Amino acid sequence: MIEFPPIPSWDGLHPLIIHFPVGLLLVAPVFIILSLVSKRSGRAYAMAALILMLLGTAAVFVAVSTGEAAGQLAERTPEINRVLTHHEELAETTRIVFSVLTAAFALILFGPKLLKRELGRVPSAVLTLIFLVLYMAGALVLSNTAHNGGTLVHGYGVHALVDTPAATGQAAAAPSAPSAFERD
Amino acid sequence: MKTILSRPVLTLTAALLLGALGALALTAAPASSTPPKTLENLQAAFNGESNAHARYLAFAQKADEEGYGQVASLFRAAARAEEIHAANHAEVIKKMGGAPTADIQKPEVKSTRENLEAAIRGESYERDTMYPDFLKVARQERNRDAIQTFNYAKTAEAEHARLYGNALQNLDSMKGAGKGTYYVCTICGYTTTKLDFAKCPSCFNPVDKYVQVD
Repeated sequence: MIEFPPIPSWDGLHPLIIHFPVGLLLVAPVFIILSLVSKRSGRAYAMAALILMLLGTAAVFVAVSTGEAAGQLAERTPEINRVLTHHEELAETTRIVFSVLTAAFALILFGPKLLKRELGRVPSAVLTLIFLVLYMAGALVLSNTAHNGGTLVHGYGVHALVDTPAATGQAAAAPSAPSAFERD
Repeated sequence: MKTILSRPVLTLTAALLLGALGALALTAAPASSTPPKTLENLQAAFNGESNAHARYLAFAQKADEEGYGQVASLFRAAARAEEIHAANHAEVIKKMGGAPTADIQKPEVKSTRENLEAAIRGESYERDTMYPDFLKVARQERNRDAIQTFNYAKTAEAEHARLYGNALQNLDSMKGAGKGTYYVCTICGYTTTKLDFAKCPSCFNPVDKYVQVD
């Protein structure tokens, strides 16, 4: 018997969506490196990197919005408030940084074509390498945001309100322990 | 490729997708009726916040009379916050099919020092006992709207208790010092002396949602 999981609410989407930016945006530079080393499929790898960045950045936008909704329902103490506010600030920075990085990479890819001025292989590679260095800084911000979020969940027990089968009226196969979210 | 994506296959795929979505929607349908305990708690909180609003306005008037302008401003800011909490609670009560009702008592006004002490006791009770208990029930009943409004109130009350504590500690030096300036978030009632953030630390709304209270 196939069971469908309940459709999560906007705040409940946060624990699901946060894995997308981390996965997509940390894999994108691998494709950028492949675009530099592959003579035959360089352009295709670069396009794949751009698609990953676009999807990852879109996921950051959703993660920030769902995170704010989840934060409004989270258990709050002065210590949690401090970490939560820092997490929110880091997430905002991540959103700005990756919006700029994605736009910059699109410009590197399509700019020469739009300007009808082809860059040589060496200048193009140098530009991409500079971009990669900047990207590493962005990846550091992203990692810090993710780590901070992990600290909130695993260090402070701040969980999003995820609907359990019992809460949505579905038969629960196994008894579920009260989540940390329910602890007071 | 053309044979794989023939019209019958596409039709069947579309039908299967629609069926799956339908099943998903059915399984996700809300199951329980209105939780009565949270509604009862919301009514109690609405009554408490409405009374606190009236009490703090009376305390502010007394503080002005005694020459504690800054304390009067703090009481007015807290009164504005309590009004916002009451309005938030009322909205959830109405959403749950209830009618918000408050029994406003005549505030017992004493000296500003005693009023501050009473205010600290009230805020501490709401921060440590009342709202944590209400939140526990609301979480068990998975009432998101109630969790949100209780959370907003609890976070703001904690800040009020801190601000009142500071005022009580420095009360002697505040005599005749003129009015103070406080900022209150119109969404969650968070009260602060400085707007040194871009988003409200409690509800994450933009800082332009804050109003100044003197």
